[in-house]
Amino acid sequence: MSELEIKLSRSNRIYRPDEPLQGKIITKFSSSVSHYGVRLSVNGSVNLQVRGGSAGVIESVVGVLKPITIVKRSVEIRPSGKISSGTTEIPFSLILKQPGERKSGKFYETFHGEDISIQYLLTVEVARGYLHKSLSATLEFIIESEKAEHLELPISPELVFFYITQDTQKHPLLSELKSGGFRVSGRIPTQCSLSCALRGELTVEASALPIQSIDIHLLRVESILVGDRIASETSLIQTTQIADGDISRGLTLPIYVLLPRLLTCPSVLAGPFSIEFKVSIVINFQSELSKLHPKSDPRTPRLWLAMETLPLELVRTR
Amino acid sequence: MEGKMVRIQSYELKVDVKDEEKDDTFDPLRASRGSIVVPSKNSEDAPYASKSDISSSYVQPLGKEWTTFKKFLVQKFPPSKTVAVSSAADLVVRSHKAYEKSNTHLDELDDPLGSAVEDVKFISQQEYTARLSEMKNEILCTWAAGDHFKSLKLSVARLLRDTALLQFYPTLFTLATDILDMLGDMVWQRIKQKAEFSEDGSQNHALPEDFQVSDVCSDAKETCHNWFCKIGSIRDLLPRIYLELAILPCWRFLLDDTTDVIQRLLAMMRGLGNPLASAYCHLYMVYCVQKLPLCQKGYLVTCIKDINRMMLPLVSSKETTEGRNNENYQVLVHLMEPPMWYIMKCLFKDHQELPPEAVRSNTLHILDLIACGIGSSFDQCMNFRLLGFRLYETDAPVEIVNVVLERVMQDVIEYQDLDNFLKVIDGYVDVVLQNQMKVQLEGLLERIAERACNKWIKDSELESLQSVFIKILSHTKCLEDIIELNFFAEIIDVMRGASKNAINMRILQIATRSGCIRCPTTIQFLFEVCQGLHNAKGSSDMLDSDYQPLERLCSCFVHMVDFGTEWERHLAFLIECRATFASADEIKETLVHHANCLVMKALKDSKQLVSFGKSCLAFSEATIPSVATPVKQLYLYLETAEVALTSSLVSHSDGLIDSTISSLQNFVAQDSVTPLDVDRIICIIQKLCSLLIMVPGNPMRGVTFIPKSLLSLVNSHSLQKTARLRVRILCANIIMLAALSQHKLPYSPCGTKEVPGNDLLHFDDLYYHEELASICGHILPDFVHAVKEEASPIARGSLALEACNCIVSALQVWS
Amino acid sequence: MVLVLAIGDLHIPHRAPDLPAKFKSMLVPGKIQHVICTGNLCIKEVHDYLKTICPDLHITRGEYDEDARYPETKTLTIGQFKLGLCHGHQVIPWGDLDSLAMLQRQLDVDILVTGHTHQFTAYKHEGGVVINPGSATGAYSSITYDVNPSFVLMDIDGLRVVVYVYELIDGEVKVDKIDFKKTTAPQSPH
Repeated sequence: MSELEIKLSRSNRIYRPDEPLQGKIITKFSSSVSHYGVRLSVNGSVNLQVRGGSAGVIESVVGVLKPITIVKRSVEIRPSGKISSGTTEIPFSLILKQPGERKSGKFYETFHGEDISIQYLLTVEVARGYLHKSLSATLEFIIESEKAEHLELPISPELVFFYITQDTQKHPLLSELKSGGFRVSGRIPTQCSLSCALRGELTVEASALPIQSIDIHLLRVESILVGDRIASETSLIQTTQIADGDISRGLTLPIYVLLPRLLTCPSVLAGPFSIEFKVSIVINFQSELSKLHPKSDPRTPRLWLAMETLPLELVRTR
Repeated sequence: MEGKMVRIQSYELKVDVKDEEKDDTFDPLRASRGSIVVPSKNSEDAPYASKSDISSSYVQPLGKEWTTFKKFLVQKFPPSKTVAVSSAADLVVRSHKAYEKSNTHLDELDDPLGSAVEDVKFISQQEYTARLSEMKNEILCTWAAGDHFKSLKLSVARLLRDTALLQFYPTLFTLATDILDMLGDMVWQRIKQKAEFSEDGSQNHALPEDFQVSDVCSDAKETCHNWFCKIGSIRDLLPRIYLELAILPCWRFLLDDTTDVIQRLLAMMRGLGNPLASAYCHLYMVYCVQKLPLCQKGYLVTCIKDINRMMLPLVSSKETTEGRNNENYQVLVHLMEPPMWYIMKCLFKDHQELPPEAVRSNTLHILDLIACGIGSSFDQCMNFRLLGFRLYETDAPVEIVNVVLERVMQDVIEYQDLDNFLKVIDGYVDVVLQNQMKVQLEGLLERIAERACNKWIKDSELESLQSVFIKILSHTKCLEDIIELNFFAEIIDVMRGASKNAINMRILQIATRSGCIRCPTTIQFLFEVCQGLHNAKGSSDMLDSDYQPLERLCSCFVHMVDFGTEWERHLAFLIECRATFASADEIKETLVHHANCLVMKALKDSKQLVSFGKSCLAFSEATIPSVATPVKQLYLYLETAEVALTSSLVSHSDGLIDSTISSLQNFVAQDSVTPLDVDRIICIIQKLCSLLIMVPGNPMRGVTFIPKSLLSLVNSHSLQKTARLRVRILCANIIMLAALSQHKLPYSPCGTKEVPGNDLLHFDDLYYHEELASICGHILPDFVHAVKEEASPIARGSLALEACNCIVSALQVWS
Repeated sequence: MVLVLAIGDLHIPHRAPDLPAKFKSMLVPGKIQHVICTGNLCIKEVHDYLKTICPDLHITRGEYDEDARYPETKTLTIGQFKLGLCHGHQVIPWGDLDSLAMLQRQLDVDILVTGHTHQFTAYKHEGGVVINPGSATGAYSSITYDVNPSFVLMDIDGLRVVVYVYELIDGEVKVDKIDFKKTTAPQSPH
């Protein structure tokens, strides 16, 4: 047990910008400690990093870009004095977004991606003068956008139809597939609430080859403006299998994907960066060849795969 | 040696229950139940048993039923010794160390290779089972350590993808779902605790049994939601479904109505391409859904439809695909049965088409409805029939039955077609019998007889007739009631083939269920029934396997027949049976036993029946040689010899003992004498020796003729091989000879002097005693020979000891 | 207190159709802890019936038993007593007390139960007991047609055994009781 600890009022640590951030500072000292004040600071920022690959050579050298500050505030909770030995609890309540305050940036939702991370940290510091090192503790809390910004429920169930056949594929296919053909159709939403599951449906209407597996890949696209160029990185967040083995033709399967927390957030299109999502439907046909490449990236087009990728806007709803 | 013990107490007791209390101090068998018997052996179990009784009242009936079902599953498909494990089950084969390395992301437990690598390993079934229980412990450990989500990583649900195990799959299913259930319970408890207790451990409020979502605090909901999210992030479909099913009851913390969840899970299961995996997944779902309160049954129909859809291509492609392993195909179909059975069972639980009340109160309206359609369709008779069934099920009062029956008969009388007519009657037989409406029953039979006699009955009609008559018979307690029934025998007469055999068998079963059969008419009737069945032997209607129980039944019948003291008549009956069932071995055997019994009974009844005894013995003597099995022949000869001796018919007993010995000779001369046969031979010779003590020596053949022929049997070439048998027989002979040489023999037949024993015949006869001694003298070297033949030193030692023992005890008597 | 049922020589169905109904109504499951049967049952159904009275069933082979796999002799220990079981047709002449005594010594038992004579007897002998429960169905024997159905129930309690004899005489069940105490002195070696 450390001497200094922050405990938030909510165990899930989720707060909205217009809500007071409440909690307590707990100290456990073996003897009384005199100090020059207890300060609480909130620091929210967007951290950007460009890796090699899609970005150019120069940018890769540049590497970490300057973080974008969302909020930075420091409050004195206790003036200088003494904290007695034993356990002491100091309650606090902070308003993150001052009403009428326009200067601070938009409170983006917490997000941990490959290149972009949006993080909010709460730090407590007990300053103890020159002779002693000050004591501090840090805790991450999670920001969800405030209710005023939420969309009204229900969001329009805007489902797009998709068809996957041998002719929609841009990459080469196994000859049996090319000649025998296949047709998979379905519907999937282009917009999805973070608090709901992604729900759609899919039907294998015909297929010359037996099916090995059908997977739904959830992808995120993180883009950062570097100079006058945009460095974009697509990464796989989650794979959900919806068919295992050669399923009946003409049978409608549900697409039901729960969105993982922290790894997703509402789609953001800010000036210097953007976070977007895509959903990819991949049909894996049974083939001797596929066994030779057991570890291939599911997004790589292969002879025995057919796929369709669609954009997906994630939103926070009321 | 002390004398016979004195009987200390002697009470006269009646079996009447009323006397119980008075006697329970003394007679343990009639003591009031439970007051006396405290078994010392089971006393340790007793408190335990009562404890488990208490706890079992907490166990939900669902759990019990499920455990029973799982047991049945494993028993039905006992796993073979080794299991071929594909890489999907690597989890079991690999050491768990490998798993520790995997990162925190749950999806790493999903091996994206799936079954791509077909690397088959073999491990023993015990090993597999042991690994699974190891995993169960590991889950318990990680859970106890507070790493709740990590317990998911060790999830066994993935193993259930390995359907190639076939025969082992049900076992795997029970083991894996066992672990899943445990996990599900732990999660449920954890969330429930969150909902009931605040963080500092104090109880806020207990959740009622039928709690609503509004009763659950947000913290608990949050935890619950997290669990569904974690499970949702599992890549593979089958483990994801299984895990969600395991914690399915937890949806109650989040939703008041779980119908959509069930529908979604059902739809998700359509993505399972393997029929076996799909069927068992459905099975688990049906089990789990029952844990939810008030679930609709509609989903069960969907389950069955979906499984059915999976089965269709399997069934239809059977002939077309040459390469399909036929045996595997059959195993697969077999494996699919239990899930279907369980789901159907759930579907029909507390299910009724029409509530009995509704039928009862509306019977006449229903009848009107049916009658409206007279002559219009074939379905009318089926409707009448169904109404009859419903009347029976609803315990309709007699008045209603009467009215309905009358109305139905009015309509049905028009039917000229026997088949349709019988279908209707079939519906009403039960209800008529239930209400003991004999007149109505005879009325029905008369109508049947009108249509059935004097015409060729079609096979389908025979089946309906069989159904009607089996129903009548199953309501019958006393056979006489049926025989008296008008038209019953007539209709049976016109039946034929398998249906007739089935009816006859049932009649015999009823007849032999209760005590003796004394009524001559009944005996005659049953005799004809047996005759009919016996004649059916060899015809295409009866399989060989059907025949054995039939012979049993006929034998039973013969045993039960009782003519009282009309001995001659009884013997005449046996003779008639002998003539009729000449080809039935078991019946002939029974006849001999019965004839012997008859002699003894007649003897007990009146001692003056020498000629009757002779007739019976002559009957037996004539019948035994026709019994095909040599062992049975031996037994019968021996028993008949006993009977002859007891009834003082010495010339018969001599002949029968000769026959016994010669049939022993034949038996011994068989090519293969099994160890069991050796035991039988020893038994019979030992018995014979003690019997011979009573048999007076025949002066014509020499007084020691029989012992001599026994000894020559021992020395016969074919018996040389078994030393044990020879030593035993020699021992028996030595002791018998010793007993014979006493001045007073230990026993005589019936304790009478009618058959003088050798002790009287040869009283003080020096020659007789010398002869006995000389035989003994011959036996002693035989002993040495026989013992020496034994190869094993231990067995040789024990045989020698046995021989010495016997000689020493014989010496005692001589001295 | 342990109840042991000793029963034998049923000869069903050859010499008797079934056990007397009055016996059957007394021999209900749950009262008896061990059943010892001397043999001559003669068919499997009888074995199954005895098993319903008490699953702890011990049987030796009689000369007419169809199932020849029963052992010739059997011993079991109940409480302080060692019991021996044998059908008795092997004992020549049958029922001979000296021969039975020898068998008792050979098996090294306190109580020897044999059958075959279809006559109930109980003898005290050298600190041991030799019991014959008679024929439970009253089947005729090699020497007599006049047999009363009988069986024996032993109540073993510590060093004491009470032998109850149930006999069906003229349609009534008669019960006799015989007390027997085992001497605590160690048995002399043989």
